[in-house]
Amino acid sequence: MDENMKDKIGGLYFGVFGIVVFLVGILEIGLGVLNKTVHFGPLIFSGYFMLWRGAILFFAGIFYLLSVKKFSDVHQKAKAMVASIMIWIIAGTQIFSIILDSIIGDGSRWFNTWEGFLSSYAPPYIPSIILLPFTLVVAYYVLSNKDTDEKNEMIE
Amino acid sequence: MECEIDERWKLVDRIAEETVTYGDGKTTLKDAIAELTVKPLTGLPIALAVLYGFWSFFSAFAGFFTDGFFVRLFDNHWLPWLQGVFPGKGSWYYFILVGDPAAGNSFEAFGMLTSGLFVAIGIVLPAITAFYLYLIILEDSGYMPRLAVLIDTLLHKIGLHGFAIVPMILSLGCNVPGVAATRTLQTKKQRFMMITLLAIFIPCGAQLGVIFSLIPEFAGIILLYLLIGFIFFGFILHKVIPGKSPEILIDIPPYRTPSLENVSKKLWVRTKGFFTTAIPFVLLGVGLVNVLYLGGVIDWLAEALGPLLTTWFGVPKETVGPLVAGFLRKDLAVAQLSAIEMTKYQLISSVVLVNLYFPCIATFIMMMKEGSERGVRGVLEILGGSLLVLATVLFIWGGLLHLIWIMMGVA
Repeated sequence: MDENMKDKIGGLYFGVFGIVVFLVGILEIGLGVLNKTVHFGPLIFSGYFMLWRGAILFFAGIFYLLSVKKFSDVHQKAKAMVASIMIWIIAGTQIFSIILDSIIGDGSRWFNTWEGFLSSYAPPYIPSIILLPFTLVVAYYVLSNKDTDEKNEMIE
Repeated sequence: MECEIDERWKLVDRIAEETVTYGDGKTTLKDAIAELTVKPLTGLPIALAVLYGFWSFFSAFAGFFTDGFFVRLFDNHWLPWLQGVFPGKGSWYYFILVGDPAAGNSFEAFGMLTSGLFVAIGIVLPAITAFYLYLIILEDSGYMPRLAVLIDTLLHKIGLHGFAIVPMILSLGCNVPGVAATRTLQTKKQRFMMITLLAIFIPCGAQLGVIFSLIPEFAGIILLYLLIGFIFFGFILHKVIPGKSPEILIDIPPYRTPSLENVSKKLWVRTKGFFTTAIPFVLLGVGLVNVLYLGGVIDWLAEALGPLLTTWFGVPKETVGPLVAGFLRKDLAVAQLSAIEMTKYQLISSVVLVNLYFPCIATFIMMMKEGSERGVRGVLEILGGSLLVLATVLFIWGGLLHLIWIMMGVA
């Protein structure tokens, strides 16, 4: 695909995705301030750090939106990359926590049963985990930029 | 040779002029990301995410080992076994070593071999390991110097510079290496301020572990109150203490992927170093408090200090016991507080009080050691000055919290 077209699609994609992330961030901040738990399909808005998570998603959304204009520029791609990293931090630590919780058994046993282990991975999930797969698109743009980056690093 | 900061910059310019050749280069993605992490508008939200990662990782990792394994190991196996085989139930040595014979869990038994070992191994070890692991990854990836640059403007307002973030963050693990790390600060004024502020306001990893394990719902309020105190008293100390606060000069390395070998080596060295100091102090702390209980000293202190504790700070007089234990280990003191009957507001005040009132003995010794480089006068300056600040802060900041509760109608 033509580089220009690829970057245009990237800009459009992260523009739409940025709006979604931004809105989810605002929702989490609002629910965090009100100290409310909301369960919606596979999504759950709850937990001690909801306000904090909401603030991070709010800023990640802004970063995505700021990256849209002239997406071909490396500085713009960096903004999308940083926004994705912010979501990876939330989702990554949450997945880490789910994995650890799935190992521990109930009061009578040290380790979880096979059924208990599998059921730990069932929904609901916090919004960042649902958003996670959509952030991976940034990897495509970073990898396609890699050759140019390596050449530039060699020049320096 | 020591130069003033302006002379250093001139020297840097002169060397750069003679040695650096300029050419055309393109910004790489790594450069662009590095730039975003040091600019305040973009860097602060990124720092917010990095800190979230820290707390989230810390709670998950420490919770997994403490609640998932050590609580069961100590409560279901170690405690009943020890209560069964240890001779002399009701004797003074049973009270010191095993504690309450009717206790149903290691936390409430309060013997050296029960609560002492449980706090040291079951709570502190996972907390410290989680803390150091995350910190080492931040250091080795190159993020820490960027955080120093980012926070420089804020810390300048209280007379410190960005690199003060290193002792601050290290103190969140243990105040002892935090005090040692103040050597990176350039002036006597900055070092004194940093040592004093971190000894008073920064809770160590062990203390954080206990707070997150026992009262996670109040952790945010407690830490926020301490942070505000850090900035407020830092600002006052900056105005009151004479001396210079020079500009920052930091070499920022490029971002790198941390190597597994380096991370594991550093983690091993730091955890081992901390652990070999922590265990004797925790055990000694429990033993000493038990001896003081047996001798009636704690009851006497509670009676003597009761009016001050209840009227000025608004906490129960029984808080005296944990405050004595806090001199040896603050995590132990927080753990002891949870066993005392009080309202949630009194619990928040008590935890803040334990944090403010005195550095633990290991930090105290480290402060003396740092001052001793300038002889007896240096020791007296650091200790005398710090203790004077500490007493003032304790009464103002501890009393203010009580006043807030009164104004809210909850005290």
